[in-house]
Amino acid sequence: MWWRRRRILEDLDSEIREHLELEILDNIDRGMSPEEARYAALQKFGNVTQIKEETRAVWTFVRLEQLLHDFRLALRSLRKSPGFAITVVMILALGIAANVIVFGVLQGVVLRTLNVPHPEQVMTLQPRSGVPFISHPEMRDVRDGNTAFSAVAAWRPNDCGIEANGATRSAWVSQVSGQYFEVMGIKPLLGRLLERADDAHPGASNGAVLSWTEWKNNFGADPHVVGTTIRINKYPYTVVGVTPEGFKGTEKVGEFAAFVPMANQATLDGFDWLESRKTHAFFSIVRLKQGVSLTQAQAELDTIAARIAREYPNDEDGLALKLARPGLLGDFFGGPIRAFLAGVMGLAGIVLLAACANLGGLFAARTADRSREIAIRMSIGSSRWRVVRQILVEAVVISLFGAAAACVLAWSALSGLAAWEPPGSLPLRFPVTPDPSLILFAFAISLVAAVVFGMMPLKQIFKTDPNDVIKSRGIQFPAGRRWAFRDLLLAVQIALCFVTVTAAFVSLRGLQKSFSMDLGFNPQNAIRTEFDLGKAGYARDAATDQLQRQLLERVSQFPGVEAAGYSHTTPLDLSGSRVSIFAQETTDFRPSQKAFESFYYRVSPGYLAAAGMPLIAGRDVSFADTTETPKVAIVNEEFARRLFRSERAVGRYFKTGAGLPIQIVGVMADGKQDQLSEDPSPALFFPISQNGDTKTVLVIRTHRDTTEIVGAIRGAIRDLDPGVPITASGPWQSQLAMVLLPSQVAAAALGVFGAFGLLLSIAGTFGLASYTVSKRLRELSLRVALGAGAKEILSVALGRMMVVLGIGSLAGIALGVGASRLLAIIVYDATAQDPFVLAAVGLTTVVTGLIAVAGPVKRVLHVDPANLLRQQ
Amino acid sequence: MSTKEQNERIELLQGTLDLLILRTLVRGPVHGHDIVKQIQFNSDDVLQVEQGSLYPALHRLIKRGWISAEEGTSQNNRRAKFYRLTAKGRKQLTIETSKWDKLAGAIARILRPSEQESK
Repeated sequence: MWWRRRRILEDLDSEIREHLELEILDNIDRGMSPEEARYAALQKFGNVTQIKEETRAVWTFVRLEQLLHDFRLALRSLRKSPGFAITVVMILALGIAANVIVFGVLQGVVLRTLNVPHPEQVMTLQPRSGVPFISHPEMRDVRDGNTAFSAVAAWRPNDCGIEANGATRSAWVSQVSGQYFEVMGIKPLLGRLLERADDAHPGASNGAVLSWTEWKNNFGADPHVVGTTIRINKYPYTVVGVTPEGFKGTEKVGEFAAFVPMANQATLDGFDWLESRKTHAFFSIVRLKQGVSLTQAQAELDTIAARIAREYPNDEDGLALKLARPGLLGDFFGGPIRAFLAGVMGLAGIVLLAACANLGGLFAARTADRSREIAIRMSIGSSRWRVVRQILVEAVVISLFGAAAACVLAWSALSGLAAWEPPGSLPLRFPVTPDPSLILFAFAISLVAAVVFGMMPLKQIFKTDPNDVIKSRGIQFPAGRRWAFRDLLLAVQIALCFVTVTAAFVSLRGLQKSFSMDLGFNPQNAIRTEFDLGKAGYARDAATDQLQRQLLERVSQFPGVEAAGYSHTTPLDLSGSRVSIFAQETTDFRPSQKAFESFYYRVSPGYLAAAGMPLIAGRDVSFADTTETPKVAIVNEEFARRLFRSERAVGRYFKTGAGLPIQIVGVMADGKQDQLSEDPSPALFFPISQNGDTKTVLVIRTHRDTTEIVGAIRGAIRDLDPGVPITASGPWQSQLAMVLLPSQVAAAALGVFGAFGLLLSIAGTFGLASYTVSKRLRELSLRVALGAGAKEILSVALGRMMVVLGIGSLAGIALGVGASRLLAIIVYDATAQDPFVLAAVGLTTVVTGLIAVAGPVKRVLHVDPANLLRQQ
Repeated sequence: MSTKEQNERIELLQGTLDLLILRTLVRGPVHGHDIVKQIQFNSDDVLQVEQGSLYPALHRLIKRGWISAEEGTSQNNRRAKFYRLTAKGRKQLTIETSKWDKLAGAIARILRPSEQESK
């Protein structure tokens, strides 16, 4: 078929020529003049081009062939102007990549559901306000008193020491209550999962389930692993099963090594909390029964919570629980993360829109330059639609290249992010491994973008009258006389770009401030070493106390140590403990009667000095404060202000839920406790000798070399007990990185968008300015010839451009200032009213404008009328 | 110009051109220009073919295998393409002709019922 078709079609041209010649001869025979004869023959034959098309159409799916032809033409015309092609592909690639990356993160962190059957039925219970934890008895009451849920479970993450194959590693273990795996609804890969019987009573079972990742990475994917013994915090456990691949528990950004029965909670935490209604330390997870709606379940939950509050007025006063989507610490981080991602997605969309406006402008200009070609094509019989299609195909080709480049960019960015291990001891992983569906997403938005910017020159084409164009010399778009669509595009584009620029500056400023802010402690020249004696089998008893004190004595004698001390936790380490505070005269210790909640620390003598926390009044804690002596504490100024409306608190008393009066022996300066963006919060320091804890954070203030001192500390701990796994040891500064992470992520993301916005606005302004100048070169030359000065010429050529630039950037800055309110949630002290930010954005506007129009201005100033006359 | 007045000329019905081409080729291979000439001549110049439309029609017939194309020399000794009826085309011509007769008859009956009755 193909060969036949080709042979026949090859001859078509000559055959038609022959036909016409014969007809002309015939006509001459009939007595016409040669001119008449030719004219009559052509008229009788019809439109030659169209006939040829029709004849070819007999042999092909002509549309497809034309499309292919359009594609080839598009590729050729892009190859002819590689600068244009590379520019537009790059612009588009960045615009699309920004969207794909953000969408990838959104998909991984927010949209992707838990990897369990029917994830839509799985919810978490959390108090209506505050942190997303409930107590174990509350979970039990809901579990035993409901009709809406098929299973209800609690779980709690523990940083444990796992001893297997002769080595102890620090790893995250999830203790789970009996119905946990019923909620999950998964099937084990090997062996069995934990069941209700495992959690029946303390010591009911020593079975542990390994996660797939743990089994793969640390047990060599051993198929006979079931039945082997491992030790978790020194307690022996038998591996009973392995979870299926892809199951990561109920947190999207975390992974666990093992799951153990919650009945053994005391052995993991060193303290029995299972019966305490006041210890809100457990996450919960529930599965709705088939056909039960969220509203029904919530209604029943309200009833149960009210009943619990009635039954236990002392502990549960005002209890209110709500159902929330699990995955981001319950739904605790869900709000801010979703808001942030939505904001960033919005910015990415803006960048893409700006890119489209930019490309639309370029395309419109290019179409104008090609007006002659288009007019010729139309006058020889090409339909307008055909011309439009050619332009659209060119847009699509560009956007396909753009999408392909964007995929490469997005892939490397997302893979990098997925492989990244955030600093700190938390088991954080970002589940953003790129999904092939993202390719579809990239190509889908690229096609939308192509249509958006490809449509922009359409009006020009439909208005084109071939006769006019060919008679004159190109379409005379009235550049400079009327406000054109292009000007509006540019203004919009610049406004959009400056939104991103403003956001970037706001977040960078916030980040810079957070580096220089007063934390209330001094992480510089401090070595922080964290370990938990609970992981080595210790409890809160004399043995713990003794080891901690011996260690402190040893490290205090290291040469160059200026101060040393330990606390059960340090500020900003994301595991702050809180306690309810009551006034001294209170006798009713129901939660609703509390004065406020305070962060608390169990500290040794010397800790405050080592951490660089200045004591304002009173004394430090001392080892002389023991369980035999009256209870004492040091509070910060905010604590004193809240309780006594005065900072003079030394010697006064307060109470905790335990009811005993505690005397304040010292007052110290305020500082950050939990987050950089928080307002001053109350904090409280108990002597660790009155409230022992196995969790230990040793802080040493020294100017000595880090590696050397860390080695010495590790040695000292090993000497005391080689079985203590050290979670972290190093400069405090670098361990704080996790706290700065949100600001850094925000600043990085917004900085990239801002830079991209700037690039786009420069490209757009430059493009349109040079286009305007080149279109009006003739007119400008005439003006120069008639004696116009440089100033007049400039204002004529680029005056309006400047107006557009000004309006666009002002609108953008105004929008950006409005939008950055959102940023304040994530970035410390983010505000656009900051004079520094405003000045920076303003300066950027001016510099951007100057860079963008420098070239065209130079060209305008060098207009030489003689040159133009010579060209004519 | 030609003998007939402009208003007596008839535009070809859609699809009838194929039939006329087949009929023209019965007497042997003919080249493009001659085909239109013969159609006009044989119809006493009543039928007017837009000459260009001949070519898509010819290619349609080739594609269906009813005619074939071959090289030849025209009257003025130039290389030209001649079209020849294939066996399949000959059969098709019979079918098409009888179809046309039926159609023409039917239309005639509709247009002149009285004449039919008077016969």
